[in-house]
Amino acid sequence: MAQPINRYKADLRDFNFLMFEQFGLQDVLGKDPFSDWDQATCSEVLSQVYKFAQEVTGPLNRVGDAQGCRLEDGKVFVPEGFKQAWDKLYEAGWRTLGAPAEFGGMASPVTLAVLSDELLSGSNTAFNMYPGLSLGAAEVIAEFGTDEQKKTYVEKMMNGTWGGTMCLSEPHAGSDVGSSTTSATPLEDGRYKIKGTKIYISGGDHDMADNIVHLVLARIEGAVPGTKGLSLFIVPKVKPEGGSNDVQVASIEHKMGINGSATCVLNFGEDDDCVGELVGTVEHQGMRQMFKMMNFARIGVGIQGLAVASSAYLNTLEYARDRKQGSSIEDWKDPSAPRVTILNHPNIRRDLLEMKSKVEGMRALITKLAVHQDRLKALGEDDESETAAYHHGQINLLTPLVKAYCSDEAFQVCERAIQTYGGAGYLKDWPVEQYARDSKIFSIYEGTNAIQALDLVGRKLGQGGGKNTQAFLGDVQKFIKEHAEHPELKDAVARLQKAHEAVGGSVMQFLGWFQGGKMPNIVLTAERFLHMMSKLAIGWLLLEGASIAIEKLKGDLSEPEKAFYEGKKFSGIYYAMNIVPEVIGDAKTLKACDESPLAISDAAFGPE
Amino acid sequence: MKILVPIKRVADPANANKVKVDDDATKVTSEGLEWVMNPFDEWSLEAALRLTENAAEKARVGEIVVVSITPGEGDTDHIREALGKGAERGIVVPAGTDEQLDASVVAKILAAVVKKEEPDVVLMGKQAADGDSAVAGTKLAELLEWPVVNYATNIATSDEGKTFEVKRELDIGVQTLKVEGPVVFTSSDRILRPDSIKNGVTPDDFEYADLGDLNSRLSNLKNIMAARKKPIDTMTLDDLGVELGVGTEYVKFTLPQGRSGSAEFVETVDELVQKLQTEAKVL
Ligand SMILES: Cc1cc2nc3c(=O)[nH]c(=O)nc-3n(C[C@H](O)[C@H](O)[C@H](O)COP(=O)(O)OP(=O)(O)OC[C@H]3O[C@@H](n4cnc5c(N)ncnc54)[C@H](O)[C@@H]3O)c2cc1C
Repeated sequence: MAQPINRYKADLRDFNFLMFEQFGLQDVLGKDPFSDWDQATCSEVLSQVYKFAQEVTGPLNRVGDAQGCRLEDGKVFVPEGFKQAWDKLYEAGWRTLGAPAEFGGMASPVTLAVLSDELLSGSNTAFNMYPGLSLGAAEVIAEFGTDEQKKTYVEKMMNGTWGGTMCLSEPHAGSDVGSSTTSATPLEDGRYKIKGTKIYISGGDHDMADNIVHLVLARIEGAVPGTKGLSLFIVPKVKPEGGSNDVQVASIEHKMGINGSATCVLNFGEDDDCVGELVGTVEHQGMRQMFKMMNFARIGVGIQGLAVASSAYLNTLEYARDRKQGSSIEDWKDPSAPRVTILNHPNIRRDLLEMKSKVEGMRALITKLAVHQDRLKALGEDDESETAAYHHGQINLLTPLVKAYCSDEAFQVCERAIQTYGGAGYLKDWPVEQYARDSKIFSIYEGTNAIQALDLVGRKLGQGGGKNTQAFLGDVQKFIKEHAEHPELKDAVARLQKAHEAVGGSVMQFLGWFQGGKMPNIVLTAERFLHMMSKLAIGWLLLEGASIAIEKLKGDLSEPEKAFYEGKKFSGIYYAMNIVPEVIGDAKTLKACDESPLAISDAAFGPE
Repeated sequence: MKILVPIKRVADPANANKVKVDDDATKVTSEGLEWVMNPFDEWSLEAALRLTENAAEKARVGEIVVVSITPGEGDTDHIREALGKGAERGIVVPAGTDEQLDASVVAKILAAVVKKEEPDVVLMGKQAADGDSAVAGTKLAELLEWPVVNYATNIATSDEGKTFEVKRELDIGVQTLKVEGPVVFTSSDRILRPDSIKNGVTPDDFEYADLGDLNSRLSNLKNIMAARKKPIDTMTLDDLGVELGVGTEYVKFTLPQGRSGSAEFVETVDELVQKLQTEAKVL
C-alpha cells in the first residue's frame, strides 16, 4: 500500500503579497460585510488551512491515487482515510469559510475562501472535489431554492452531513448539454418523477455522508428542445421522508488521474420511483441556475490547476536544489570539476523560472477575480453603480481565462516538472507524475477549454457592447503608460505594449468575422485567442507585482524578504520577456487564419 | 483548574538543515528560519486542553493561560495559534535575544509570571526542540518551591487539580506517582495517547482520536474567530522584576555532518530486513 506521506507544498508569502500588497484586500476588511475580518486573521486562517492540508489531506493524496474507489453492492467506498479527513475538514470549518452565516458559515472574503481552496485542492485534488462540489450545489439551492428547500438542504450540505453533486452530462450530451434527455414528469404533489442516465458524475456516491443531494438537469415533458427547455431538480439519494429514492450507481469509471474521486454512472428512476423537486418555483430556469454553479465551479477548476501546478513547482525546486549532476558549464573543459546541483544549469533555471512565473501569474489572475467579488460584496447586493458594473464585467470576462488558461498551463507546468526531475519524475516515488495525471482532467470538465474559448469570444468579448473588454484593455493600457519609462521594467513593458496592440487587433478581427459570417474561423482560432488574452492579463499582473517588489527592494529587508521580492521581480520580467511576446506571433497567425483544417477533406486526414 | 502553558517558538525542526552558525561559531543564526511552536509545548498544550474540558460535550471547564517569552518585539503568532486551539488567554513577554534567554532566565521569568497568575499547574514541554536542554521545568519548580514531575506520560485528577496521579516511563518500567498541586509537569510526546489523560470531567468511556502524526488538535475556524476577541497581555521584564543576565556562556557551535545516501521506502518489515542484510549489509 502507498504510504501516507505529505508532499504538498505552498508558499504562503505569495498569498499574502497578492492579498495585501498587490490587490488591496484590506480596503474591504473591518467593515460590512467583512467586519469580523482583519489582515492578521486572514493570514492566520491561511496558515492553519495549510497546516491542515499538510497534515490531514496531503498524506492521503498518494493513498487515494493508488487505491481508487470501489463499487460494491451498488455502493461506492472511498479510499482509506478519506472519511476521517472529511470529518476533520468539517469540524475545522475550512470548507464553510466563505459561506453565509445563516447557513453556519463564516462569511469570509471570497479571496480567503479561494486561496484556502488552493491549499485544499493542491494537497489532495481528488478528495477536495467531494466537499467542493457539495458546497457548489448547496450554493445553488441557497440562491434559487424556496425557503423550505433552503431549510431542508443547505446547512446540511455545507456542514458535511450530506454531500452534493451536479448532474449535467449524459452519454449523448457532454459539451452539448442541450441534448439532455433525462425527463421530469409532474406529480400531483408538485414534485416530479425523474428518469434518465447521467454519466461522469463526480462524487455521485460515497460513504462519507448520510445522504447525497444531486442537482439534476432534466427536461419537463413538453418543454422546448435545447438548453432553454431544461429545468434543475433536487434529487436526494435518500428521500426526505426516508427510504431510497431510486438513484442507482451503475458503475464507476477507471481513470488516468484523480482516482480518489468517484466518477459515477447514475441511473435515475430505473424502477420508476425517483422523485425530485424543482429548484425554486419556476420551470425551465435550469441552465440559468446551473450557470451560477458553473461560474463558481469554473473558477474552482482554475484553482485546481493553480494548486497542483504550484506544488509541482515547489517540489521540483526542492529536487533541483538537491540533485547533483554534471559540472558547471563554466568549467566545461575540466572533467574533474566539482559536480553541481542541477539548479546550476541554465536550462533548469529557465524552466524553473518559467514554472514559477506561470504559477504566480495564475494565482495573481485568480486573486484579482476574487478581489473583484469582494469589492462587489462590499458595495452591497443591489448597488447599480458604474463601479459595480465594472467589477461584474471583469469577473464575467475573465472567468473563461481562469478556467481554460490555468487548466492548460497546469498540465504544462506538470510536464516541465517531470522533465526537470529527469527519470525520477517519471517514477511513482516522486509526486509529479501523479500531478500530471491528476491535472489533465482540468481542461476537460466544467466545459472543455474549447467551449470556454467559444464562451469568451462568442459571448464575453461583446458583452455590454464590448464595455468589459474595453475596460480590461484600458486597465492594461493605464499600467503600460505609467511604467513605460520604468528604469528596470521598460523593456518588459514594451513587450506588454505590443501584446496589448495585438490583442486589440485580434478583437477587431473577430468582429470582422462575425459581421462577415465567417463562423468557422472563429471556432478555429478561439482557443489561440484565449491564450493570447490570458498572457496579456498575466503579463500585466506579474509586471504590476514586479513594480511593487522593486519599490520594496529599496528598503531595508531581511534575507528571506529580499529573496521573495527579488523572485517577484524576476517572475514579472521573465514572463514579459519570454511568454508575452508569443502573443505577437499568435496575433499574426490568427489574422492569417490558415484555413487548411477547413479545406482538408475528411478522407485526407487518413484511412478509416 | 487553571493551567499555565509556556510556549516557545523554535526553528521548524522539519527544516533543521536551514539552521546556520554565524562566522565566529558562537551563535546559531535565526535569519530566514520558519518558526513553529516547540512540538513539546504543543503536546503540553494538547494535554492541558484535555485536562480542562469535558470532551464529550466539547465544553471548556477550566482555564488555560499560555505564556510566550519572545525575543525582540514580542511576536504573538504562536499565542494566537494556541488561543485558536482553545486556550483562554495569552501573555507575551518581550525579552532580549535568543542567546540571552537561557534556561535560568526563562525559569525566573516564568516564576514571576506564576506568582502573578497563581495557576494550579504549570504544564510544559520536557524540552525545547532547538537547545534540547530540558532543564527549564525543573529550575522553575525549584524557584517556586513546587514539586516537579518530569516526562509525564499520563496525568489523572479527580479533584480539579488538588491531587494528581501521574505516570512516567523510565528505563526500568512505568513509575506511578501521587502528587499534590500546585505542581510543575513536563510532558513527553507519549502524553497524547488517547487514554493518557483523565480529568474527572470527561466521561471515562470517551475516546480521544488517535492523533497519529499530528502534534495536537488543529485549530478550527470558529476558535480562530473567537480567539481574536481573547486577550493577550504584555508583561515586560520590568513588570516582572527580572533582569537578563546570562548564566550560560556558549563556547562554540558546529553543524552536524551532512547526511549521505538516500532514503527509500519499503512496504514490509521482511523487505526491510532483507535490504538491511543484502544492500546496507548492517545486519
Ligand atoms: C473525471 C470526470 C469528472 C466529471 N465530472 C462531472 C460531473 O460531476 N458532472 C457532470 O455533469 N459532468 C462531469 N464530467 C463530464 C464533463 O463535463 C464532460 O466530459 C465534458 O463536458 C466534455 O463532454 P464529453 O466528454 O461528452 O466530450 P464531447 O462533448 O464529446 O467533446 C469531445 C471534443 O469535442 C469538442 N467539442 C464538443 N462540442 C464542440 C463544439 N460545439 N464546438 C467545438 N468543439 C466542440 C470538445 O472540446 C472535445 O474536445 C466529468 C468528466 C470526467 C472525465
